[in-house]
Amino acid sequence: MVVKFNNAMNADEVSALWTRTVAEAAASQSGATLTLDASDCATLGGAASALAVELRRIANERGLKLELRDPHGSLDTVFRVFPAEKFAKIETGLSGRSHSLAAQVGESTMRIWRDFVEQLAFLGEMVSGFLRLMFHPGRLRWRETLVCFERAGIDALPITLLIGFLIGLILAFMSAASLRQFGVEVYVADLIAIGLFRELGPIITSIILAGRSGSAFAAEIGTMKVNEELDALVTFGIRPAMFLAMPRVVAATLVMPVLTIFAVTAGLVGGAMVLVSMQVPPVTYLNHVTDSITLPNVLFGLGKSAVFGTLVGMVGCSHGLQTGRTADAVGRAATAAVVGSLVLITVFDGAFAVVAYFAGV
Amino acid sequence: MERKTVIEVNHVDAGYDHPVLRDVDFKVFQGEVFVVLGGSGCGKSTMLKHMIGLNPPLAGTVRLIGDNIWSGDPAERTRALRHFGVSYQSGALFGSMTLLENVLLPLECFTSLPPSARRLLALMRLEQVGLREYAGFYPADISGGMKKRAAIARALALEPEILFLDEPSAGLDPVTSAGLDRLLLELRDRHGMTMVMVTHELPSIFAVADRCVMLDRAAQGMIAQGKPAELRDYPPNDTVRRFFNRQAEGDKS
Ligand SMILES: Nc1ncnc2c1ncn2[C@@H]1O[C@H](COP(=O)(O)OP(=O)(O)OP(=O)(O)O)[C@@H](O)[C@H]1O
Ligand SMILES: [Mg+2]
Repeated sequence: MVVKFNNAMNADEVSALWTRTVAEAAASQSGATLTLDASDCATLGGAASALAVELRRIANERGLKLELRDPHGSLDTVFRVFPAEKFAKIETGLSGRSHSLAAQVGESTMRIWRDFVEQLAFLGEMVSGFLRLMFHPGRLRWRETLVCFERAGIDALPITLLIGFLIGLILAFMSAASLRQFGVEVYVADLIAIGLFRELGPIITSIILAGRSGSAFAAEIGTMKVNEELDALVTFGIRPAMFLAMPRVVAATLVMPVLTIFAVTAGLVGGAMVLVSMQVPPVTYLNHVTDSITLPNVLFGLGKSAVFGTLVGMVGCSHGLQTGRTADAVGRAATAAVVGSLVLITVFDGAFAVVAYFAGV
Repeated sequence: MERKTVIEVNHVDAGYDHPVLRDVDFKVFQGEVFVVLGGSGCGKSTMLKHMIGLNPPLAGTVRLIGDNIWSGDPAERTRALRHFGVSYQSGALFGSMTLLENVLLPLECFTSLPPSARRLLALMRLEQVGLREYAGFYPADISGGMKKRAAIARALALEPEILFLDEPSAGLDPVTSAGLDRLLLELRDRHGMTMVMVTHELPSIFAVADRCVMLDRAAQGMIAQGKPAELRDYPPNDTVRRFFNRQAEGDKS
């Protein structure tokens, strides 16, 4: 067979030629002659060169006789720069990723184990950092902490208020519908006040914090890692966990009780609107609410929300610090921060419930 | 012989909010290696961004093979964008793709070649910059200079008529750097490719540059244009002389 290269073939022409000739060459008998004719071509374009290399490779592989018509030396140049043997096998997966199931299971196990060890190391570093901060509060980067506080707290106020309000509204509406059958819809006030302070307030606020700030912490720190900024800190002798994570964790811890109070207040307003519309006098509502907001309830709720804040901050920062060195790793770190926070919040919430039950709070 | 004008920069004011450079005006001809020189921070990368359609110039126009890249007509802009390839100062490889996939991306988007052809072509591009064996590596797993070379391979993927290079040899050892110079000359001589390159490497400038333009921060504009050897031997002003003699400000020759 003869393959003729024309001058200035465009990619579509090469494409058609490629499909036809490669199939034909691959089906040829050993010993057949394959002629590459470049007599009209002073130089070969990229796609045409690739075709020449591929045909030569097939000819070598199948034992075809290769004949070159190459008065301008253009094929010769291509074969000198791109020896066909070098492209004999088009390799894949050179990065050493194994594909066997056993190897993948093993790699995943090792990765989970390494993650676990790193999380523990981070936890240890944070705890020792907290203890040191108790004695030297000046060591904390307060400016950075305030910036984080503002972003995680003040900027989150509108959404916190909105969701708190809606939750209060929905809760009141649903429970009032049932309690009304017994004529005791006024107890909805107690239900909302206790439910919001002890459970829903801390939970929804921490979910908002995890979604807004936990992911942001992970992405910020992760991007710094990608840009080798963390390496720069290490060479200054600064520990990234203390320098970057501590202000964020402290800010998240302090901001949560504040946000929770706002969320609960908004929820109570929402509940009030429902009950007032059901002819419960506002004063009665207020009395029931103030009666059920006891000090233990408040302390329990706010303490819980502070703990949730710490969790969100720590999970976000630790995922940020453990980011890989690529952009998609930053995305994965942000996702992992949110998911990890939600799981831990649920687990800790359960633990709080058990402790409260036995302590009788 | 009158050569074809490939790039026309017409009275461009370069900058972001405030002009960094005023009234930059030059032409680049077909098959020429054109080097943009100037001190650090004088606006070379900024100028390049105007030429490749990333940031609009504050005034003036840029034409690539007759097509205005800042045209209001989307078709003309798309045509202008198809004329060139760029290797960015930072490499700008996609971190979630292997080198091979990085080079394949433009081929997949813009050609109708069968997959095996695209693969081979991409591997050949990597071979040209000496990275064929690293085709399956991720950008995070190779060195800085290798990233630079991979970026050039990606810029070459579609065999553009014009190649823009922002400091391609920064961070390369002299031998690799010389190899890169040879690749550029080969592309120019064999394929008539036009190249616009930002570089500070004097040896590389003398090896490859046909003409150069020098930008200056203090003068806020172009201060010289011509063949590098002429600028070295007959510097039109002190800044140019210091640049070619590698003298710090204030040093006496
Ligand atoms: N994104 C940006 N927004 C605003 N100003 C910028 C931006 N990027 C750069 N500049 C300013 O434009 C000027 C020129 O920057 P540019 O990156 O073009 O320099 P350069 O000549 O490429 O320098 P180098 O050789 O160090 O790469 C600088 O003064 C810089 O402060
Ligand atoms: Mg630059």
